[in-house]
Amino acid sequence: MEKDLQAIVGEVTLKLGSITNRAQWDSVKSTILGPNGNLTQIAKSIGGIAKEDRPAFGQALNRTKKRIEEIFKESLSSIESEAELLALGKQIDPTLPPSSNFTGGTHPLTNTRRRIVSIFRKIGFTVAEATETETEWFCFDALNTPEDHPARDEQDTLFFPPGSKWNNIKQKKDESYVLRTHTSSVQIRSLFREKPPLRIIAPGRCFRRDTVDATHSANFHQTEGLYVDKKVTIKDLKGVLDFFLKELFGDKVETRLRPSFFPFTEPSFEVDLRAPNIGKLSDQWIEIMGCGMIDPKVLDLVNLDPEEWTGFAFGIGIERVAMILHGIDDIRHFYTNDFRFLSQFNHSA
Amino acid sequence: MKVSVEWLKEYVDFSGSYHDLVDSLPMLGLEVEELGSESSNSLDNVVVGEVLTKENHPEADRLSVCSVSFSDDYEPASIVCGATNFKVGDHVPVALPGAKLPGGFKIKKSKLRGVVSEGMMCSAVELELGQDNAGLLILPKGVKIGTPIAELFQSDVTLELEITANRGDCLSHIGVAREMAAYYEKNLVLPELLTTAPTFSKPSDQNFIKGLNVETPNCPLYSLWAIRGVKIGPSPEWLKSRLESVGARSINNVVDITNFVLLETGQPLHAFDANKVEGQSILVRQAQEGEKIVTLDGVERCLDSKMMVIADSKKALVIAGIMGSIDAEVDDSTVDIILESAWFNPGNVRATARRLGLHTDSSQRFARNVDPSGVQFGARRAVDLILDIAGGECIPEVVSFGEEPRSSRIVEINQSFVEERCGFEVDSKILVRSWERLGFEVEGTDPWKVRVPSFRSEVDRPIDLVEEFIRIFGTSNLTATSFSIPSLHRENDPSYDFFDQAIENLSGQGFQEVCNYSLRSSEEIKSWFPTLDASNIGLHNPLTADHTHVRPSLLPGILDSLAYNQKNLNPLSQVFETGRVFQPGPRGNVELLSVAFALFPNSVTREWKKTEELDFFDLKRIVNRFFHGTGISTPKKEWSLIQEIAPWQGKHAAKKGDVHQNKIEISSGVISLQLSKQKEIKGPVLAAEILIDPILLSKKRKAISFQSFSSFPPAIKDLALVVDQSESAENVRSCLESIAIDAANAKFFIDPVSIFDLFTGKGMPDDKKSIACSMRFRSPDRTLGENEVNGAFEKIVKKIELDTPYKLRT
Repeated sequence: MEKDLQAIVGEVTLKLGSITNRAQWDSVKSTILGPNGNLTQIAKSIGGIAKEDRPAFGQALNRTKKRIEEIFKESLSSIESEAELLALGKQIDPTLPPSSNFTGGTHPLTNTRRRIVSIFRKIGFTVAEATETETEWFCFDALNTPEDHPARDEQDTLFFPPGSKWNNIKQKKDESYVLRTHTSSVQIRSLFREKPPLRIIAPGRCFRRDTVDATHSANFHQTEGLYVDKKVTIKDLKGVLDFFLKELFGDKVETRLRPSFFPFTEPSFEVDLRAPNIGKLSDQWIEIMGCGMIDPKVLDLVNLDPEEWTGFAFGIGIERVAMILHGIDDIRHFYTNDFRFLSQFNHSA
Repeated sequence: MKVSVEWLKEYVDFSGSYHDLVDSLPMLGLEVEELGSESSNSLDNVVVGEVLTKENHPEADRLSVCSVSFSDDYEPASIVCGATNFKVGDHVPVALPGAKLPGGFKIKKSKLRGVVSEGMMCSAVELELGQDNAGLLILPKGVKIGTPIAELFQSDVTLELEITANRGDCLSHIGVAREMAAYYEKNLVLPELLTTAPTFSKPSDQNFIKGLNVETPNCPLYSLWAIRGVKIGPSPEWLKSRLESVGARSINNVVDITNFVLLETGQPLHAFDANKVEGQSILVRQAQEGEKIVTLDGVERCLDSKMMVIADSKKALVIAGIMGSIDAEVDDSTVDIILESAWFNPGNVRATARRLGLHTDSSQRFARNVDPSGVQFGARRAVDLILDIAGGECIPEVVSFGEEPRSSRIVEINQSFVEERCGFEVDSKILVRSWERLGFEVEGTDPWKVRVPSFRSEVDRPIDLVEEFIRIFGTSNLTATSFSIPSLHRENDPSYDFFDQAIENLSGQGFQEVCNYSLRSSEEIKSWFPTLDASNIGLHNPLTADHTHVRPSLLPGILDSLAYNQKNLNPLSQVFETGRVFQPGPRGNVELLSVAFALFPNSVTREWKKTEELDFFDLKRIVNRFFHGTGISTPKKEWSLIQEIAPWQGKHAAKKGDVHQNKIEISSGVISLQLSKQKEIKGPVLAAEILIDPILLSKKRKAISFQSFSSFPPAIKDLALVVDQSESAENVRSCLESIAIDAANAKFFIDPVSIFDLFTGKGMPDDKKSIACSMRFRSPDRTLGENEVNGAFEKIVKKIELDTPYKLRT
């Protein structure tokens, strides 16, 4: 009897040793534990055993059954593990390219704009936006550039037809709508909407009626900056711009303020810089941006008392910065969107 | 404006080179745009050298070996030379290695018959500085060794200056010289005027002008001089060369003199042939509407009543301040001259020049507010020159109308004002001296009264005087870059942050950002947006035919980007753009924020691993991820199928919301196959555009407050419903959801019902489909019992059978 039970354990171990799947396991199980299974047969033979031997027999049978069930359980778990492993497939070749091989990327103008904005955010400038559609008053008159001012010649402006109506852009009176020629108009919108002290940076798209070539584009991007507070001085202006340009072009950059003219600032300056690390443009003075102290007339026009408030404003071309930083020689690259161009600048600045 | 350095030196004692001016003028606000010179070649690396020794060449009789000093800093060069006309101690031009001679010959260190030669001594012909080929060009002894030859031989250098709009006074040599005088602290030397004449409002009998009338307010000051018996002829050489040096053409002596005086003083003048002036009277008036005049350039111009003319009794002779007509031109037969000198309203001249597209040296100056005191100065200077050069006799009277519209003025300013604006301490002596250097008169002590002369039209206020001080004083002392600025409570405008998040999200979803022009062609707008009234977003004065309208959408642009890259076989299948777009709306145009992306259903590059072709539902996934990532709520409206409206392919695109009503709108699907073909794209393009009215973003988002959730497991029940093909899945889902909520009867919650299967085909009638939904019942405070769940489920089934057209799938 003991021998039979031992034999069954041996048989189970042997049979399970050669199976590979659940179906085989099931069939082995039925040959042992099924209604006609070997162990079931032995159990049924209890009737032919002497009464006094029965308890011993029962115990032996139960022990064996338990043992066999354990063996089955282990076998099943090992079959399942193997099946799961099999489902993972063959070993991988990690050098194959990924599926759907697009990484995505940002445009160099976005990168440059973000870099500029993040530098100014460090010193407490936040972004203000206004519409690209403007009215003549906000784009020129409010910036101290009246209709007959010669400065208006310099900016050839794209106009909307007289009488065109814009629901979400307010006019001063009934002046014409234009596409803004500079982001300076954001100064005016912001100063009407918010009270100083105010410190904003306004990146955005501008338009000039220019023929497209390597340095001119039908639209382009600028960043305007504005700081209005009490007792703002030329020294503050120089300090802020020096900080900005050093962050952008590195510690070795030198800057100078060169007197110039903008109708909305007085005094006005062009900012020149000289840097050792900007390729062909290294080690020579190059013009980088315009700036100045806000003209008292502009403050007057936005209902601020020029005796109480002073401030400065500046403007910088985003394309120009990107071109200098990366040695790009043609502004049209930014708008052609050739992947071989774009992919060089992902998340760079 | 072009200035000649030699010419400038007539008015200021300036001994520096033009290099000094290239450095100094920009720091005064006069930008040097270009450097021109009469000498056409640059002669880099050709300098003055002195012959120190001269020995015979050991191998060649005709050559000599010389030691030539060319710099204080370097050892003399050894140079082999074939010329014989020089001796030790002579100064000669030396071309050093790196120089390129006008003929193209490049100088480098070389060996001539075994002897090293470190340069070349040159003849006049070799440098194109003369015809003399007999030997080396022997230079005067006084010339410093090392001086560039180019500097020596340029008789004149011209500078192209960019004069800013506020500096009309610098549109003249005297004006620029005045700035130089201020900068270098030299005296300004004005030409001496000889002719004088008293001024009258009416001509006397001896004058050949009989009358002067000014009828327009656009001419506050007008004066005429008369010269009898001039001899018209060619100009003298000095005058010709002055004009030619700045690119002006010599015509005849009298015309040249008026041009010379314009370039010298900035005052435009006009000379009439007195015999061509009908009625011998001059009338300054507004033009008649439609009045015609043939200007000196031979073009017939049609005038309007806003333009001003100078006329005789019959016709207009000059478009005031801009250009004369051929009718009263001074020519070879002219004997008597009337010379006009005037001050015209700058705005009027500017507007007329713009309307006519006729910008002249004269209009450029009048438009920038000429110095009223220069009216007489310029005229007297011209009369002097005419009498000297063309002869004749000046009738000793000036016929003049009006008064100088502005003159010198006094601006009061104190030191603290200057210091508060500058941010640094200023020495009062330096401050006062800065203004005086510019020709301003300063009176008193702090506060000072500063008299600004009439030639400075835009210096009226204390702040303008601060600028003048800074110009002269310079900004180089502003080296300390520290600044202290307090923090402010302000956030970025939400439209900026939204775009920034959009860029981050879509580039993270594998899209490449692109950037297209905002200006589009009317053809494109017509074919892409046929229902939109394009005239509303058209430009009044477009420059080119492909840039006539502002864009109502980013879609055509991003398809251009896909097309361009596909054509160039670039591996780019997914692009996006953010930007502002312009659309007509019910209450006028609106400027909107747009985010758009486009992609090919299959990757443009072949891939080793098969991936499924992308479709509308992938777009929907990208859109959902976009909204999830940017935290914007999608429009409350449900997706609706787009039938046949460009730019979409009907029945394969859908729209959610309306930007005019809901302030936000999404459209998504397949771009009209015809339109992508028009863009020369192979295969269909999937795209989506999200339009947002910026006002939507200005709403403050509510703070989120935490809500507790159930810790008990849900009971899950699935249900498949057979519905009409035309029934929208969302209708079925939401119907089931509301029935389930009813059935729960507030005793427990229903999680949002989800669709997990869609079936059509075998066993299903053609006009039906099966939608399988999964429901999750959940209670916050207990595990739901089987009876409770089954009871609710039965209620739901019953309600569907009774109240809806849907059938349970069995």
